[in-house]
Amino acid sequence: MALAEASPNPYEPSLMRIHDYHDETSDVRTLQLQFVDDGEAVGFAGWAPGQFGQFTVFGAGESVFALANRPWRPNNNGGKPPLIECTFRTVGKVTSALRAMSKGQVIGFRGPYGNHFPIDDWKGKDLVFIGGGIGMAALRSAMLDVIDRKSEFGEVVILNGARSVADMVYTGEMPAWEQVEGVRVVRTVDPGGETEDWDDKVGLLPNIFEELGLDPEDRIVVACGPPVMLHYLFLSLGKTGYSPNQVVTTLENKMKCGIGHCGRCYVGPFSVCRDGPVVTWAELNELPKDY
Amino acid sequence: MKERMDSSWKLTETQLREWLHGLLDANTVVAPVEEDGVLLFRRITSEDQAVIESSGKTRWSPKEFLFPRSEALYRYNFTGGTVQLDDPPVPEDHQILFGVRSCDAAGLVRLDEIFLSGTKDPIYAARRESTTVVSTACAAADAECFCTAVGGSPVGVEGSDLQLVPLDEGWLLRVLTDTGRDLVSGATDGWTAATASDGKRLSELEKKISEQIERSPVKREWSKILEEGFESPAWDQLAQHCLGCGVCAYVCPSCSCFDMNHEANAFSGEQCRSWDACTFALFTRHASGHNPRATKQERYRQRVLHKFAFREEDEPFRCVGCGRCVALCPAGLDIANAVVAAVEAIREEGADGAR
Repeated sequence: MALAEASPNPYEPSLMRIHDYHDETSDVRTLQLQFVDDGEAVGFAGWAPGQFGQFTVFGAGESVFALANRPWRPNNNGGKPPLIECTFRTVGKVTSALRAMSKGQVIGFRGPYGNHFPIDDWKGKDLVFIGGGIGMAALRSAMLDVIDRKSEFGEVVILNGARSVADMVYTGEMPAWEQVEGVRVVRTVDPGGETEDWDDKVGLLPNIFEELGLDPEDRIVVACGPPVMLHYLFLSLGKTGYSPNQVVTTLENKMKCGIGHCGRCYVGPFSVCRDGPVVTWAELNELPKDY
Repeated sequence: MKERMDSSWKLTETQLREWLHGLLDANTVVAPVEEDGVLLFRRITSEDQAVIESSGKTRWSPKEFLFPRSEALYRYNFTGGTVQLDDPPVPEDHQILFGVRSCDAAGLVRLDEIFLSGTKDPIYAARRESTTVVSTACAAADAECFCTAVGGSPVGVEGSDLQLVPLDEGWLLRVLTDTGRDLVSGATDGWTAATASDGKRLSELEKKISEQIERSPVKREWSKILEEGFESPAWDQLAQHCLGCGVCAYVCPSCSCFDMNHEANAFSGEQCRSWDACTFALFTRHASGHNPRATKQERYRQRVLHKFAFREEDEPFRCVGCGRCVALCPAGLDIANAVVAAVEAIREEGADGAR
């Protein structure tokens, strides 16, 4: 019995209230969540960008989303209790049920899980964030942190790609990011996804990345997107002289438990939820092609 | 002059039953029981129900008594805009798994590696802490057995607190842990202390069964070969007959993968954990539709490699050689043969490539 008493039930979520939400696209929503019991927030104070959580819709089930808000630092929320944000696309049972919920309703959250982006190692370097579609959600926390601490980093380029203009996320807040000196946002949509009044780029992310002609010297690339995008992006990165150590991505696999027990997110010996999700391209090359 | 064997006793069949009878007083005892001609682990209420034999195994491993097929991880009520969470009750009784084969006892240790590592699973841990394992060594191998080919032994003690070893007449009872000692304290009146010559029975059985199991041993260094041959075309052929039914994972004493789903009505529900299998197509399918293991070849390869590769050199294989998956596969697949065939094919490809 001692073991059970010593460790709390890792599967029992904290209760969180939907404080507010923002619709990014017709099927992507960003939620702002507040702990029902402020005291519970203390237990999450150590989380860092790149980590994720399991979000519960009681009666429907759980879904994994990245923690998408800026890291909690003293006073960065005006002294109010810290919020958690997540951006999700409505795809299945749980996300449909979550989409149907309104402000004030209660959901569950457990986490934070996984490792995080080594942001402090990037100090003084130029950065490129490359996000394809909902992949931007996994990068948002790191991007917001870097923008907040811009003086510690070099040039920051954010490459936001989507299938179509209507599918692009975070369009509302991107202008504010660009206001920060040394931050540049490049938007692109896949060919055929543009509208008549679209005046940004049209083309696949890897091609647009190559077109930018960024110098690989002292630069870190942080990328997240669908497997096919990453496949072609890595080819582009190789072609343009990036070494696998300066490229960071996140492995996204189906997960259930979040603590390395349920077995479904394994890539060879690597448990994505426990050992990942953040990996360098070099680390990825060491793993079997099973993702 | 006979030398005393440490913490070991010789019991007659009658003494064994009397001891088991005594254990029923204060414990939940789970033992092999015959049901419609099939041996299954069941909770027993009388010592006569237990089938304790010198060979033969249950159809299912005893893992479900630590890791049930399906269980609530927590429960909840959600009415009137509030949500209340409750932990599931953990059984208070001390549990004895009696008559567990050596392979199955080792399988429990493979489960421990998963559930007690990193973030401990408190539900599993609570059950594990109040469980004592009394294993039974084997005097004969079943047709499908291959423990000795994967580093195990018919008299292996991994995962056992006590071990019964079949003698020509009666039983040798070996006390292996403090927990095991607790189980015999007060029961040894009239028992005969075992001697060193009784201990020879262990090596006899090991030798005898190694000879019965005619399979070639799976070598530890093959793990590396399997990992290097990840993309070998051999897997296409090896997995050709797999139906993806998952029976191999269900009967496996060391398979620990599980699914989690909410079972709920309009007022209350539970987070339900249930056994899952890596040979199911949905196991790894993403919400986007992308599936890292979209074909049965990839899924079967995962099953074999998770047992025999991606392990440190000093770690035992995750397969304990009970052979249930071999005996019960409707397509006749044999994991031990698959490993040998894969390694052979990968080596040949390597040789061809070097030519």
